[in-house]
Amino acid sequence: MADQATFADDAMQYLNQLFSVAQRLTGNRAEAEDLVQETYLNGFRAYGSFQEGTNLRAWLFKILQNNYKNALRTKSRRPVKFEPRDDEEIEEHYFMNRTTPEDVALDRMTDTMVKKAVDELPEAFREAVLLADVEGFSYAEIAEITEVPIGTVMSRIHRGRKSLQKTLYEYAVEQGLIATPANLGGGTL
Amino acid sequence: MTQPIDCGTALHELYEFLDGELTEEKRSAIEEHLDHCAPCDGARKFEGELRIVIADRCQEEVPDELVDRIKAAILLAKEQA
Repeated sequence: MADQATFADDAMQYLNQLFSVAQRLTGNRAEAEDLVQETYLNGFRAYGSFQEGTNLRAWLFKILQNNYKNALRTKSRRPVKFEPRDDEEIEEHYFMNRTTPEDVALDRMTDTMVKKAVDELPEAFREAVLLADVEGFSYAEIAEITEVPIGTVMSRIHRGRKSLQKTLYEYAVEQGLIATPANLGGGTL
Repeated sequence: MTQPIDCGTALHELYEFLDGELTEEKRSAIEEHLDHCAPCDGARKFEGELRIVIADRCQEEVPDELVDRIKAAILLAKEQA
């Protein structure tokens, strides 16, 4: 049993992480703010049922995830492509199969490029990739947060990363961050 | 000494390797391969760097008003409790 009186002190340290993920889930600042506020409020109300000494960060993310899913369900403002069929197999290590690491200026990828690429992922993949790559949760923690079996988590992370890599690759080519035969031609000989 | 690992296996399990999700035996077998195979080592470094770039670029700054709003909402809920 956790003490409600200490909730703010215990939980506010995760605000930045929750807000970053909320922003990518909703794609909208105002909605992200509402989602995070609701998460803290629900967390406060349910804090009595939180087992002290267990993972508070994961617990909060689970509340966030639940609230987000409920909001999606009630609104259904867009046709939710939650989990696409497995009909488009994307190669693993998309960049690696086309470039050598030296050809890619990863550090020149901007916030805007990366966020846009993440936003284009289908819901379930986006969620899994954010929890794994941005928040560093383990597969088991992600399974608990998103309430799906661990095998599903692994598949979502895997396919999400591949898909994200493909999109980033395309942006990087567009922005000239990758040396391709097409944009190598312009050099002085 | 564990069974040697080929490039296909090493690359296939690279995500689990980087995510720290392999058993110690599997992890060290793959590490052994990566340490001795330049292309696979390149993939490890690239995937690792990409992960850092993604995590870094997705950080959002929390608006001060949001902090205040949340604290106020919790206070209000406390009073109502």
